[in-house]
Amino acid sequence: MKFFIKTIAWIILLSLLLLSATSCGIDGKMDKAIETGLDILDAESEYNSNLKLFAGVEPLPDAGEPVTFNVFIRDPGAVPSKDNPVIRRIAELTGVTIEFEFLVGDLDQKVGVIIAGEDYPDAIFACEQRFIDAGAFIPLEDKLPKYKNLHDLYSPHYEKMTTYDGHQYIMELYLSNNPSPMFVNDGPGFYIQKAVLEEAGLVVPRTLDEYFDLIEQYMAKHPTIDGVRTIGFEILSDGWRDFCLRNPPQHLMGAGNDGDVFVDLNTYTASLYQVSDTAKNYYRKLNEEYNKGVIRADTFTQSYDQYISKLASGAVLGFFDQGWNILQAENILKSDKKYERMYVAVPIANPGVKDSYLDFRAGTITGNNGIGITKNCKNPDRLLAFYDWLLQREVQDFIQWGEEGKDWVRVGQTGRVLTSARRELNNDDGKKRDLTGITLWNYSPKMQGLYEDGMPCGPTDSEDEYVASLSDYDRRLLEMYGIKYPTQLLSEPVKRPAYYPVWSMPIVEGSAAALANSKMVHTCRKYYPRLILANPNDYDLLWDSFVAEIWKNDPQPYLDEVNRQIAEAMELE
Amino acid sequence: MAIKELSPRKEFYKNLVKQKELVLISIPFFIYFFIFSYLPLWGLTMAFQNYKPGKTFFEQEWIGFKHFENLFTDPDFYRVMRNTLGMSIINLVLSFVTAIAFALLLNELKGRIFKRVVQTVSYMPHFLSWIIVCGLVSNILAMDGGIINDILVATGLVSEKVHFMGEPNYFWWIVGFTNVWKSMGWNSIIYLAAITSIDPALYEAASIDGYGRFGRMWHITLPGIKSTIIVLLIMNAGWILNAGFEIQYILGSNGLVLDVSETIDIFVLKRGFGRAGGFAFGTAAGMFKTVVSSIILVLCNKIAGWVGEEKLI
Repeated sequence: MKFFIKTIAWIILLSLLLLSATSCGIDGKMDKAIETGLDILDAESEYNSNLKLFAGVEPLPDAGEPVTFNVFIRDPGAVPSKDNPVIRRIAELTGVTIEFEFLVGDLDQKVGVIIAGEDYPDAIFACEQRFIDAGAFIPLEDKLPKYKNLHDLYSPHYEKMTTYDGHQYIMELYLSNNPSPMFVNDGPGFYIQKAVLEEAGLVVPRTLDEYFDLIEQYMAKHPTIDGVRTIGFEILSDGWRDFCLRNPPQHLMGAGNDGDVFVDLNTYTASLYQVSDTAKNYYRKLNEEYNKGVIRADTFTQSYDQYISKLASGAVLGFFDQGWNILQAENILKSDKKYERMYVAVPIANPGVKDSYLDFRAGTITGNNGIGITKNCKNPDRLLAFYDWLLQREVQDFIQWGEEGKDWVRVGQTGRVLTSARRELNNDDGKKRDLTGITLWNYSPKMQGLYEDGMPCGPTDSEDEYVASLSDYDRRLLEMYGIKYPTQLLSEPVKRPAYYPVWSMPIVEGSAAALANSKMVHTCRKYYPRLILANPNDYDLLWDSFVAEIWKNDPQPYLDEVNRQIAEAMELE
Repeated sequence: MAIKELSPRKEFYKNLVKQKELVLISIPFFIYFFIFSYLPLWGLTMAFQNYKPGKTFFEQEWIGFKHFENLFTDPDFYRVMRNTLGMSIINLVLSFVTAIAFALLLNELKGRIFKRVVQTVSYMPHFLSWIIVCGLVSNILAMDGGIINDILVATGLVSEKVHFMGEPNYFWWIVGFTNVWKSMGWNSIIYLAAITSIDPALYEAASIDGYGRFGRMWHITLPGIKSTIIVLLIMNAGWILNAGFEIQYILGSNGLVLDVSETIDIFVLKRGFGRAGGFAFGTAAGMFKTVVSSIILVLCNKIAGWVGEEKLI
């Protein structure tokens, strides 16, 4: 027995040693991001006070027979708490509970596994042509017109929703028939820390050289930030998120977030920006910056979580990314009140080229990026009736804004702002998920933008709310720049042609085009980090072998397929 | 009195009836293997079809060896084969040598308690999942606060931190040594068990003949566990195309080492379930792997027979 205790003691000691050896990474900022912070009592009292809500809303006729639908979501995420007061109330009024299954791991492979087993949930949000090819979805064209709210939302888009076999399968999620202006860039951009701009005297960098000059100057003056060594520029390369590594050249050439090709808007032909002179110069510039110590080699081997915790430490001065991908880090910085360490996108493009980062949200759809109901669905009509019920203005209003007086107050004729309590709740990812209906709203057909009377559908659509929620630091900064919101640093949102974007185009699985695309991406993924880390003298040589490998793997089938689909879409217009 | 000879068929039925309990007990296993090992073989037909999900078997289009042709003309395939074999051989050699050496050394220890503790500690990592092990490895080897780099710099062995996870030349060895760390203790258990069955009289005789410690290890212990070593070698050689999956998938997905990290399993997964290949192509690649593995296994078994050891099958 004594021996046994001794062994256990040894094991514990040794594992402690091992743990302490590995835990000296960057500080645990992530903890805050994953902390749920839900108090069961909170949820219960919230629920009781919500009982009176939805008072004017008719329950669905079959609310007495509870039904659960499983919905697969292509994003990584967390399921809202079972005690969520809003979702519980909605379940009582409709009889419908939605069980979300969020993505774990790689989407491409997950989709393959689902199709291989024909193990479809009731509905799928995946933006994946393969489900349509496999016959996973039921056609909706006969059903949608029967539901008033769904019909109102989707009828302007019936033509674009119709796929090659003449059916409509997908209810687009990110769609607004009357868009609000864009206040912050949630899409791609070269982001820079606000403190860098402030210190440089509120300039707006427009070229790569200007951008990196600002970063270098700031780095030289501040070798550490809050005790952490300053990092000039980060390049996220973790799995599918490596668009941060591969996408910038197309934006420098003045394109939007199109995909893996650059489309000439005069001739509507696609070419590979990956091997363009712009790309060559871009990665050469990064190579120079690496050799100056602005970029660090481990940026290519870090995981997404490590990247977010670096950003959240406030020590990273710049990076290329898409706004939604860094929200987590921004929220942590905001709750730490490090407003000057938060980021803003700046209009970087080739000299003489107009930047085109923002899409004009003109109520267009991709045709693919939404929910489809599968043939395994227990009761498609009930699910559609539920979605239709959710689209009622009262319901949308309550989910997004909450209760008048308690969660929001009226400003002027059509304006609304949140109360500070609700704003705080919205900034806390865990509480927002567990105490509001936001997850359900986000992954169901929903109202976005402005209603016909000018009332914003939700807080993110409201200019009043945007202005009211600004920190004093941001307000001062915007005032000094003489702009109302940060997207005004970028060029006006651009109205995109009908084919846009290339990334949502359906490419047949196993086709020559799909293989060519995959090989091309693989080559880029492999060579770009090497190019950046190369000895500057070897750069040209390495670049040539990169270009040679791209052509050796013949990307033409992919370009042909994209060109064909562009031509098809442009003809339709 | 002559014994009445039964015809073979009659004898079979007689035995069957006599051993009906045994037959009965084996039925669940028969069903298990039929469902989980033999029925799925039907899916291999996919490798010869232009398989489209959602269609029935009879609607599929048969295309013969097209997928195999594509497989053998794909340069990526040779790259992943090279990686698989490279890492496999490193793993095989390292894990054999270290496990045997460790068992021999452990066997020489005198303190019973110390021996037990060392053994327990050494096989604990076997129970850690790969995702945890990979987390440990990438933290230990990190440039930013990784303990190895800190030690290397502090002792002046290197002037600049080493980018372990981004250097293609190191990747196979990182995989190899991580495997050693994880499985050395566990693998040595079977050798330790084999060592205990060696007759102590042999050691005494060797001592009398004037052999020292290393002499006894070399002339008594090693020959004593030779058959165990050969049997394990055969079993492991059959797995030579299983270089592993998790560690390469988790640690090797960054662009810098992608070229040396992808094994055939990752290739099958990426092509089979990804957009670029499809199920049928993945099946063809997986089938190729199985066929080659079977051939190697049979060969190793033959070789074991030639060198005069017990054959496994």
